[in-house]
Amino acid sequence: MELLGKALVIGLTEHAPLVLAALGFALLYRLTGLMNVAYSETVTLGAYFGMWVNTTFGWNFYAVLLPAGILAGLVSVATYFGIFRPAKRRNVGNLELIIMSFGLSIFLRHGLQFIFGYPVRFYDVPPPDTIRILGTGVSSFRLLGLVSLAVVALALYWFIQHSRLGLQIRALASDENLAQASGIRPLFVTVLIWFIAGVAGGMAGAFYGVGSAVKPLLGWQLFLFILLVVLVGGTRGLGGVIVTGACTGIALAGLSLHFGQALYAQLALITGFILFLKWRSRRVAETGKV
Amino acid sequence: MSEEAATRPGRPVIRIQNAVKRFAGRVVVDIDDLVVGDRPIEGLIGPNGAGKTTLMRMVMHSTSLDQGTITLYPQGQENDRAVVLSDLPTYRMARHGVVKSNQVIMDFEKLTIWDSLLLASAAAKYEHPHRIFDEPAVFAESADEIHMYLKLFGLGDPCGFASSAGDKKLLDIIRCVLLKPRFLLLDEPTAGLPDATTELVMGVVRSLAARGTSVVIVEHDLDVIWNLSDEVHFMAEGKVIMKGTPEEIRAHHTVVEKYLGEGHV
Amino acid sequence: MNLDWLDAFLVYGFFAVVIFTGLAVLLHLQLGLTRIANFGVVGFFGVGMYGFGILYVRVDWPFGDPWQFLVCLALGTLAAGLAGAVVGWLISGMDTDGMLVGTLGFATAVYIVATTEKEVTGGAQGMGGLRFPYDFDSLSVKAHEALWLLIAAVLVALIFLYAWRVHRSPYGRLLIAIGSNEPLARSLGKPTFRTKLWLFAITSAGMGMLGAVYGVYERFLRPTNLGVDITLAAMVGLVLGGTARVWGALVGVVFTVGLFDIVVQSYLPLPREWYQQTIPVLREAVFGAALIIMLLFRPLGMLGDMRRDKLMRRLHGE
Repeated sequence: MELLGKALVIGLTEHAPLVLAALGFALLYRLTGLMNVAYSETVTLGAYFGMWVNTTFGWNFYAVLLPAGILAGLVSVATYFGIFRPAKRRNVGNLELIIMSFGLSIFLRHGLQFIFGYPVRFYDVPPPDTIRILGTGVSSFRLLGLVSLAVVALALYWFIQHSRLGLQIRALASDENLAQASGIRPLFVTVLIWFIAGVAGGMAGAFYGVGSAVKPLLGWQLFLFILLVVLVGGTRGLGGVIVTGACTGIALAGLSLHFGQALYAQLALITGFILFLKWRSRRVAETGKV
Repeated sequence: MSEEAATRPGRPVIRIQNAVKRFAGRVVVDIDDLVVGDRPIEGLIGPNGAGKTTLMRMVMHSTSLDQGTITLYPQGQENDRAVVLSDLPTYRMARHGVVKSNQVIMDFEKLTIWDSLLLASAAAKYEHPHRIFDEPAVFAESADEIHMYLKLFGLGDPCGFASSAGDKKLLDIIRCVLLKPRFLLLDEPTAGLPDATTELVMGVVRSLAARGTSVVIVEHDLDVIWNLSDEVHFMAEGKVIMKGTPEEIRAHHTVVEKYLGEGHV
Repeated sequence: MNLDWLDAFLVYGFFAVVIFTGLAVLLHLQLGLTRIANFGVVGFFGVGMYGFGILYVRVDWPFGDPWQFLVCLALGTLAAGLAGAVVGWLISGMDTDGMLVGTLGFATAVYIVATTEKEVTGGAQGMGGLRFPYDFDSLSVKAHEALWLLIAAVLVALIFLYAWRVHRSPYGRLLIAIGSNEPLARSLGKPTFRTKLWLFAITSAGMGMLGAVYGVYERFLRPTNLGVDITLAAMVGLVLGGTARVWGALVGVVFTVGLFDIVVQSYLPLPREWYQQTIPVLREAVFGAALIIMLLFRPLGMLGDMRRDKLMRRLHGE
């Protein structure tokens, strides 16, 4: 029981950014059908941009979030115009698109190392107070982070599910031709989605960066979990992604405490998720057009 | 079809029992009890959306059944040997002799005509990772038969790729024949083929049937059905609502015209 | 034997080209023919490398080299093959997205195990004790390495030859058929799932064997050897040369790994300090960019698509 409480508190506060990152990825995945490996670099970029603004201009972390998100969003849009849009026009296949995004991910990651140097970097933030919840010590900073993350994630969810633009986004995702016929500007909405996904990824990255350290592999190490959360939870819509993401965070924290080793927790979760995907793929096996 | 060939005992038969398929809640196929294959060539006709193609895909188990069973009796229903097709994966069908041609054009875009046909006729024992020197054996076993069909249908250079839609359609049918089917399902085999080629295809189907293969054919060109079939099943709204010789079906002017439009009888 | 003319970096450069050509050829069978997306090449490479290393170093064998080496190599290869069979079973029925997750997840799992199981793998500090399975007292280290390069080259040549034969066999035809239209192949009675699973297991075993051979050259195994750069190098080589062609693997790796690990390392007059960090980072960035540019402008690579028509004419033409 104590373990459960601890897992709940640590999991939610520490891994809350995972939910936001997964939301952004799920949005993009649903619209484009593309497993964009380079999304992991959007997360990393957000962490670096935030760190850069924070340490250069001395801005408070929460003030940094917005520029970090917007810059990451702009990079995301730039990759759309620079790579994925031309690729789609040239009818590049799905598998090739994934390999391209893999290449882009590697390119951006090492480009970052060129610009920001090789050592691990940190945000410059005041040391936080510790608050006890359910018998577990949590830094006030992480708690505030959780609240703000929840606000951002819910705002995003509301925007997609209930706003007029969100309706257009969902329409475009489900049927491009029909959406076009009903007067939606596909380019505008598509760019909007790439931007929002980038902003979500970038903000998640900033949260991860300030929670621990900023390093070029930050997004890549997270990417597998983003992928798993979206593939497992995504079939039930964005709500499913939020729930799966939160549960994954809690499970990661709980299993880490149980095994006393965070890597074991990751191993167990990766195995579990992939077995679940296998089980599900068997259930829905419909063998195609012959 | 001669009389003794039609009544010969031990013809492969497929029995479809209580088979239901729904797509998004709509019942597409709902067959109570249907036996096909008693006669050498049986036609399956009906309006668009009657569930003909879906039924054929259910037999191949490339579309799963919501409920029901489909059973193959390789030597007729009197014989005890029975294979429950609806329990088998698609790839096992060919080994039991159940083969289907495709309504839409299906091709291996990277494979030449030779490739495509050798693939169909190659025995499974040759297709293992360690058998990398067996191309001559496969070729020796099947080249004559393939050559025969290439010549019959006048297909172009077999070292090249099938270019036209008609060639691809023919290739699909030849692949089916090369699999030595005991039970052949043809889904609009002559759609888009010129009349002369249609005749050739019908000739091949007839000779297969004469050698003991049971054939079920779905076709929009009803002339093909009236010419070829020994028995016709009329399907509408997922059910077989009528069955009989071509003459009997044609006698039901009202029903056929209601579903298929005037001028089809 | 006088090997003064041979730079130690040069031996490594050629060794890298040989190993990655082998990996790219195996990836060609998976990706180019059968369209199985493997983003976890390094995982199978790592299972072979660590499997071999652990058996070689930690187990007290009653016989010495070369038998010790050969037995461990066989077992390491087998381990990678088994891993390939398990992952193959997981992903063979999935679409490309599922394959990405499955193979990436496997590679991550291998990395995690190599890091956490300190008693066996040496953890992050790594594991020493590997050596060349021969000892000629008179020879220098460099000569030993050159000999190892030769052995690796023979091994990769055999893999290459195998892939070349596969193109000319009924088996290869089946692989291509599955890659271009799996449902149709299934309807022709081909057990596509089983075929994919076996192909994946065998090619993964090959990757594992190359991992073991690589491990012997490195002599010290660390989890950092299991980075995504291994997968990247094999993939960029294959894509650049042409995924659909056996020769594509060789040509592509020569132009990518060869360019950086031989030409840049040994022949360009660059400042010494660049080689520490700048060149490796630049190498990865260029590889990433090459993947994008190639797939955007010439998706079939330098050599283009496979030419079954020409091949068939040679094999069965009049």
